[in-house]
Parts: sequence; structure tokens; C-alpha cells
Amino acid sequence: MRRRTTAFHQCSARICLMIAMATATLAWPAIAKDTGLIFVSNEKTNNLVILDPKTLKIVKDLKVSRRPRDMHFNADHSLLYVACGDDDVIDVIDVAKLEVVKKIATGASPETFALDEARHRLYVSNEEGSSLSVIDIDQGITVHEVPTGAEPEGVFVHEDGKSVYVTSEVGDLVHLVDPEAGAVINDVVVGTRPRRFAATPDGKELWVTTEMSGEVWIIDRARFVVAGKIEFLPPGMRKTDVTPVGIAMTRDGRTAFVTLGHAGQLAFVDVASRKVLAYVLVGKRAWGATLTKDEKTLYVANGLGDDITIVDVATRKATQSVPVGRIPWGVVIDE
Amino acid sequence: MNRTVIALAVVLAGAITARAQTQAAPTRVPIVFLELADDARYEPVRAFGRFVLKALDHPYAGAQVGIEDARPLTRASGADHQLERITANSIDDMVVAIIRSNDAGVAWFLLDAPAEAYKAVAAAVKGRDLLLFNVSAPEDWLRRDLCSAEVVHAMPSRAQLMDGLTQFLVSKKWRDYLIFRGPLPQDRETVDAFTRSAKKFGGRIVATRDFTPGTDPREREKNNPALLSAINKDWDVTFVADANFDFAREVSYRTVRPRPVVGAIDLEPVAWHWTWDHNGAPQVNTRFARYSGGRHMDSPDWAAWMAVKMITQSALRAGAVDFKPRRDFILGPGAFDGDKGEAMSVRPWDHQLRQSVILASPLSVVANAPIEGFLHQRDVLDTLGDDDAETPCHLNR
Repeated sequence: MRRRTTAFHQCSARICLMIAMATATLAWPAIAKDTGLIFVSNEKTNNLVILDPKTLKIVKDLKVSRRPRDMHFNADHSLLYVACGDDDVIDVIDVAKLEVVKKIATGASPETFALDEARHRLYVSNEEGSSLSVIDIDQGITVHEVPTGAEPEGVFVHEDGKSVYVTSEVGDLVHLVDPEAGAVINDVVVGTRPRRFAATPDGKELWVTTEMSGEVWIIDRARFVVAGKIEFLPPGMRKTDVTPVGIAMTRDGRTAFVTLGHAGQLAFVDVASRKVLAYVLVGKRAWGATLTKDEKTLYVANGLGDDITIVDVATRKATQSVPVGRIPWGVVIDE
Repeated sequence: MNRTVIALAVVLAGAITARAQTQAAPTRVPIVFLELADDARYEPVRAFGRFVLKALDHPYAGAQVGIEDARPLTRASGADHQLERITANSIDDMVVAIIRSNDAGVAWFLLDAPAEAYKAVAAAVKGRDLLLFNVSAPEDWLRRDLCSAEVVHAMPSRAQLMDGLTQFLVSKKWRDYLIFRGPLPQDRETVDAFTRSAKKFGGRIVATRDFTPGTDPREREKNNPALLSAINKDWDVTFVADANFDFAREVSYRTVRPRPVVGAIDLEPVAWHWTWDHNGAPQVNTRFARYSGGRHMDSPDWAAWMAVKMITQSALRAGAVDFKPRRDFILGPGAFDGDKGEAMSVRPWDHQLRQSVILASPLSVVANAPIEGFLHQRDVLDTLGDDDAETPCHLNR
């Protein structure tokens, strides 16, 4: 909070202009810049806990709609969107005020979503509704509700905004959706229970975690076919305990991080060779994985441990776990 | 033989011929759900008057969810699965329905029949190109003695269920069991399975007492849980086998010692429970409620859902619409996600689906067996039920 106030008074001409513009259009001071605050969504307690990045103390416990899960900031981090599965809404949070300022209706039980601000679109996977909602953000209306395989989850928007990829956990499919037409136009079969995506920065590959088969499947985006897969088996673990869900990738596309669910491990993967570099013990049912902007630190949400684990990327060590509340789903950082 | 069966067979034959001419369109693949009219197993369990303690029904709604789940796979698999429901009036009619449907090109069946139907069915289908998925009969003798190559058991066997329960009890160091055994043949089979499991995992049967439901004071030694449990030894857990469910609910708090009750009530080993909330289970339960009119998803419902899933997934994974490669996938490497955690496959020796066993109290799942620490050289799910060396059935040899 103090940092934001300071920034307001000492802002450079350019930033001040931006603030003025934001204030004019949004009617509140959108000045939440790089606070470093860590936001964790807790599925069971219907809140976000917000941690101070230095002290790792909870600075705010923010009540939101029921069962918050996936979270994304808009580009200037003035707003945070939170999919709330049990109320069928996306809550919009004013990051400066740390208040819910708007609710956008989705389909039944939104789980994850992608934000395409340039085209004013939200793409939401509705877990219970077995559909992908295409939502006009400005108007808050659903443009299309595209039927998908049961339990859709991961959503990724092509850089040109003309296609959207979505997984179906039950269907073992990755759908390719034409968001304008509002229809699935093609499918590719992957491993069992596909969950979430990471895209290589060269735009060539889409990586998808497959929870039940304990793998990451790699899709060649140009041809929309499977181009390979990576298996995970930390030493001493049973294959059936290895349930990959969360995935993050460095901006240079060299390293990927995959959370292995019930194995309680985080895998470091060399993207080029598709080899596992290391396994790091994190917490119980590790799902959400989020890199800091400097890519030195990774946060893992441990759904059945009620905590998040902080991993030092350079040394590949878990440095600390912090209790956050019941069933943490994911982590985002305001920076 | 009822007329609907014959009519259906003709319709199916027509559908299959017509499809061969249009190649691009997905192939229509019928799945027959075959049930017995007036199946006593689905009589609702009532308290006095009309109050229903357990709403039971044929697991057709489970199969419907399976079909709904498979619809988006049609494009990728080329197989458009359609569910047909046939209600037979007798076991003989069941056999006729299967043969006629199979002659008309149906290869996939969900069999919702009591165990006594299986002898006639298995004899009639021997050597045919079809698979019958057992979705509701847990009897061990179907796996051990009948041992039919055409049957796949999606429903867990009693041996699996009791092994799951016993693993849990032993993991708690609750090793001494007092058994209350009901008068039905199923109760005897259940007690036999539990006794076998206790022996396997190091539990002890302190006493097995036969009960007679009722309030007759002359029979009080047989119908009063306090008197039934007045034995000169201590025990840890009371196990009740009561398929009729007319005594089990009177056991808790009525034994002479305060001991938890398991088996038919309080802690039940089941294939599925509506409060299971991991592995995507809440979504399955929600989808099920849409078809069942709110009835909670039960073990046969899960087995029917799972059977349809295995059938529809086989088209996707074997990359074929035809029967044989799909059967080979199901009976071979097939690894299926049944929303219970571990990936499941079919045991080659007796065609029992490997699966975890849910240990459910009325409003919560207490544990999911295999319990941590019970290990197996091949697949941890093979710690539950008949392993290769434990059964006389060897379809793989």
C-alpha cells in the first residue's frame, strides 16, 4: 500500500499520464503497480488470501464468490479476474482497492479461463456445463457457449485470437475451437484426463498435462497433431501417484515446471530435449504453479496441504511452505 | 420373448447396413443395456410405512451419463454410440435378446442381471463376438467358477470389496471382528468373503453369530444385538452381513460393547459413493443427478457409467470402430479413468476390472483402498480381490 502511494506522488510524466487516463476511463485510481502481492485462491473457503512477498504474512483475506479457482490480471494489473466455480461467475477485483467490483456470469462451474484483452474476450471452461463460454468482457455477455467434452479445463488462446484450445478431462481430447463461429472444429486425442496448457514461446508447441496417464503431451500447433510426450516418475514413487496438473514455462522457452499432484512433487523439464532435469518435493496434491516475473521463484499451490510452497528455481530447492487456507487452487503475483 | 426385442433387432440390422454406404459419417454403434423386469434387488428399502431408506433403481442413468460423456468423442473416434434399453421379462428372454441383438450386429452389452442369470447367458454367448459388462452382480462365483470369456466385470467382486474394507480395518489395527450373519445366501457369501479377507490381511474372526430379523421374544438370542454380542471375548469391530437391510440399522449402539459397525451399514465398502469428491467425482455425480431425478449415484450406476466409458474409450484408443481391436484393447493394455484415482484395467485371468474400493460412511468417504502401505509386485490394485494365483479362473492361459 505504501509503495503505491509513493509511486503516485513521485510518478514520472509518462506514468502520471497513464494514471490520469486510467482514472478518467475507469473512475477509480488504477495505480496498483508491481506491489509484488501474492494472491492465492482457496476453493473451500471462498476467499483469496493476499500475502506480502517479503514477510509472507497474510495482508488481506478477501471474500469472493464461492469456490474461487483460476485467476488472471489484465495487462496493467488494475483488475484481477477470478473464476468462482460454485456461483457460476467471474469476480472482477479492483487490485488497488482489493475489492470485488463486478461479477461476470459464466456457464456452470467455471474452472479456468483465458483473457484476450485486445479483442475484449474471456474464454471460460465450464466444468459442470461441459462448455466453453466466449464472453464479451466490456458488456459482460456470453457471445457463444460452445459445447465441449465433459469437464473442460485448460484454455489457451492462439496469439492471433482466431482459435482457442480447450481440454476435456473426460474426453481425453484437446479441442480446437473457432471462437467467432462458436464451434469446435477439430480434436486431437491425448493422454488420460488432460488438464492444463503451456505454450512454447516460439508458437510451435502446446504442452498439455495429462493427469491420469502421468504425462505431458506435446501438440504440434501448425499441424494440430501429437508431436511427443514426456513421462514423469520421481524416484520411489508409484506411477499411479503421479498426476500432473499445473504447468509453467520460462519466457525463453527453455525450462518447464510441472506439478505432479498426488506425488507432491514439482518436475523441472528441459523443453528442448524434453528431459526431466529434477524433481523437487513440494506439498500435498500440488496443482497451481506460478513463476515470478524475474523467474527466480516459483509458487506451488498444494490443494490438500492447505499451503503454498516456494521453490527457488536456481538451486531447485523448496525453501518454505506457507499456510494459506483450505484447498488453495492457484497463485498469481501482482508484478 | 417380447416383441420389442425382435423389433429392435430389425432396426439395428437396418442401421448397420445403411451405415456401410456412407463412409464419412461416424458409424453408429449400438450399446444394449439389458435389465430384468421386477428385479428384486432394486426394491426400495423401506422403513415402516412408505418412508424410503434407500432409493434403488436400475443403473440405466449411469449408462446415460456415459453416453453423454462420449458424445464429444464421436468426431475423433468415428463411432457414434447409441444406447438401447431392453427390459426382459425373464432370464430366458434375456438370453434371446442378447442372441438376436448380436445376430443383428450388436457387440456391446451392459448386463444388469442378478447372478443367477449368468449361467444361461454365458452358455448361450460362448464364442460369440460380443462383450457383456456385468454392472451389478458382485458374486465371487461369477469370477471364479463361471469364468466366462465374454463377460467383463465392471462391478467389483465381493472379494475386492471385502479386501478393501479389511485393509482399512487392519491399517487402523482393528483386527478382531465379531460377525453378524443374515439368513440370505448373499449374507453367507459376504461373510465368506470377509472371513477370507481377514485371513489374508491378518485379521481374526472372534465369533460369527447368525441373526434372525424380528422381535419375537422366543428368538431373542438371535434378534437382539445385545444378546448376540454378549460373548466372553473382546472385539474391535462388528461386521454385519444383511442384504435385506432389515437388521443392520438396529446394530449400532445396541451391542454390549461400544464398537463401530461395518459391512452393510455405517462403513460400507462400495464401488462408488455420492460424497466422493476427488478425481472429478463431483462432476460425475452432478451429471448423474440430471438423469436419475436426484437419486444419488450408487455402485451399479458407477459400474454402468464405467462400462460405457470403457466401450467408448476403446474406439478412441484402438483407433477402430470394429469389435475385435476394441475388445483386445479393453482386455489388454486398456488403462481407464474411473474417477477413483488409480488408472484401471481388466485382469486377464478373470476379466474383473481392477479398481479401488471406496469406504463410505453415510455422509463421507472415510478412505479409498488400496490403503497406503499395501503393496503388490505388479499393480497395487491387485491387492484387492482375486490375484492370478488365488482363483481357479485363468482365461489368459
